[in-house]
Amino acid sequence: MTLGIELLESSAFVLQGGFLDGVRTLLQPNTFVEQTINGLQRGLVLFLIASGLTVILGILDVLNLAHGELYALGAFIASSVAGYLIGSSGLMAPPTSFDPVMSFAFVGVLILVALITALIMLPIGAVVETTLIRPIYDRSQTYQLVLTFAILLIIADLLELIWGSQPIGASFASQQAVNDIPTFELIGFGNVPSLVAMIIVVSLLVGAALFWFFSRTKTGRIIRATAIDREMATALGVSPDRTFTLVFALGSFLAGFAGAMQFVRTNAQPGMGESALVLSFVVIVVGGLGSLRGAVVGAIIVGILENWMIVINPEFQTAAPFAVMVLILLVKPEGLFGTWGERT
Amino acid sequence: MTPGLEREDGSLRIRLMKGLVVSPLQLLGILVGIGLLFALPDIARSTENLPIRERPIYRGMVLGLAAVGLNLLLRHADLVSFGHAAFFGTGAYTTAILIQFYEIQSVLILIPMAIIAATLMAVLIGYFTLPHEGLYFALVTLAFGQLLYSIPRGIGELGGTDGLNVLAPSQPGTSVLDRFPRLGDIALTGSDIENSILFAVTIVVSLIMLLIMLRISKSPFGRALDAIGQQRTRARFLGLRVKRYVWAAFIISGFYGGVAGALYAIFFTSGVSPDETLQVFVSGDILYIAILGGFNTLTGPFIGGIIFEVLANIASDFELTGPGGTKEIGRMLTGIVLLIIVFVFPSGVVGSLKRGGKVREAGVDLKNDPSLIGPWLSQAASGTVAAAKRAVENVRILLLGVK
Repeated sequence: MTLGIELLESSAFVLQGGFLDGVRTLLQPNTFVEQTINGLQRGLVLFLIASGLTVILGILDVLNLAHGELYALGAFIASSVAGYLIGSSGLMAPPTSFDPVMSFAFVGVLILVALITALIMLPIGAVVETTLIRPIYDRSQTYQLVLTFAILLIIADLLELIWGSQPIGASFASQQAVNDIPTFELIGFGNVPSLVAMIIVVSLLVGAALFWFFSRTKTGRIIRATAIDREMATALGVSPDRTFTLVFALGSFLAGFAGAMQFVRTNAQPGMGESALVLSFVVIVVGGLGSLRGAVVGAIIVGILENWMIVINPEFQTAAPFAVMVLILLVKPEGLFGTWGERT
Repeated sequence: MTPGLEREDGSLRIRLMKGLVVSPLQLLGILVGIGLLFALPDIARSTENLPIRERPIYRGMVLGLAAVGLNLLLRHADLVSFGHAAFFGTGAYTTAILIQFYEIQSVLILIPMAIIAATLMAVLIGYFTLPHEGLYFALVTLAFGQLLYSIPRGIGELGGTDGLNVLAPSQPGTSVLDRFPRLGDIALTGSDIENSILFAVTIVVSLIMLLIMLRISKSPFGRALDAIGQQRTRARFLGLRVKRYVWAAFIISGFYGGVAGALYAIFFTSGVSPDETLQVFVSGDILYIAILGGFNTLTGPFIGGIIFEVLANIASDFELTGPGGTKEIGRMLTGIVLLIIVFVFPSGVVGSLKRGGKVREAGVDLKNDPSLIGPWLSQAASGTVAAAKRAVENVRILLLGVK
């Protein structure tokens, strides 16, 4: 009967003692702001992953289970690109102390690493779509789940074959070089590293560019039109094949960019794709199927909640996003935002 | 409808039970198949050369049983569940908790409790996933599976990532067989005898579960599910209570998952861990087992389970050396097999072999006209060349645009 008692104790823990203590710790102003900022950063990286997944789902009608592995692939490619660009033999070595010109130039190099990674991912995504996914559009959705899962398995093993099974971290020197730049220290939250600020700003820029692309450019509007009514778009002269390839490549681009960001922040490691994939699903369910706005809101909710839970009670950190998802399913089964297409 | 003989189009048919009428040849095939199943552990044990081991066959059978449950949704209601590990894991964890914390050893309590827990879980998860169809259904079931995965990992009492121990108390002379009700004072010792008995029990349970599934799929309930799978709206207009039917099907498939989980935990493992029972990859395995075996057949998922696990076991012996070091490439080979299934044998192993299936038809054609092999080979060659040309063309268009 011990388990019964232990379960009682742990629910008692949730109701009074430990949980409330955790909430109290979280609500101290400094901790609260710091964890929220960290969560925002995590949420924005998650948004980059989930946005690709949600756009692919909305337009190709394919639930790409390999998307998490594309993100992991991006992180590993970024580790190689960083190896070429950073260091005394590359473009520039990380500055050892804060220097307004050199430090920001180094941030530029890191962003360049992410951009090159994402550009490498572009043709990879296009080839995967044209060779593997295209032949099964007109078949039962069951097969695309099998197919994308097969791609997931193959990429997962390829990653370990090429880069080994140990995590590859960004060098301490380059992380330190960014952290030397004063950002959060200026407003009194010295515990948050400046890397977080860099990732928040860069991800916000990419996100903004994405919204601009879908609402202001011709190609973006074509993609949205295809999402709303594929047949009509085809009748008006849009090639669905090219649109699909473009969308899948775009999704890979975003996943690669997110992977590079994650590599710079912590490391690239096997298995990182799986959890990212599942969290992206939560983001999609919370935000609404195929909705880009929903992906932003959902990702930030999930990211911040995860970081709050680290303070409140780390045991529930992984379960918390799913609890939110269940809540959303109960209250608003279609997600916070409706179907995408008519609005970005 | 009692068992007996009947004539159909002038040929003899044997009626085994309601809804199960077979020809004498088919009956022979079924009997040989069952006999082969019983003999598998002995075959595996007797030869060192065959790449067949006992463990993967066990695991394949229980996962196959879970896949039979999943197939009720997949085959009839056209719903792809990506979270069936939830029920498998609930069954396994319920068993483990009862053994660990309540010191219950009898299978007569363990299995029913595991089934009840898994079925209740299916009632709950089914309720939340009911409004969804298609990919969204897959997504939501997957997320629920992952929620269940994170619970035992987070709770220290449940063993965290290490899981729970389910071995019988290790006193000399005790074995898993002590969990069965004693029929007489028979001394059963030796791990081979033990394994064979557990294996036989698993086969008997699986056969009963398959027969139940056969009855379900041929019942009015199964037909209604078929209608729902083909056209939900039309089924609703016909007066079917779509949600209730789908919910019921979901609960039944959870029941199967629970049986599989309990069998797995009691018989074939020393411990129940989240990674082995609840992870998203287990859900994936259960789904792919159904498709590998052939999801339009009754026995396909069960046989697919055995094939899948044996193949995975063989694949795990392969190693490849890359820049990152030497590594087993079991997952990659599994992926390649799945690719082949998707592109070449979409109806699965059993589906391709049965009457009207791809392989069977090809075999019949070949028997009638052996010279067909020439055109087939040239077709395959020209098909490959055409596919390669298409791929090159696609890449060219991507890089340079349409000229």
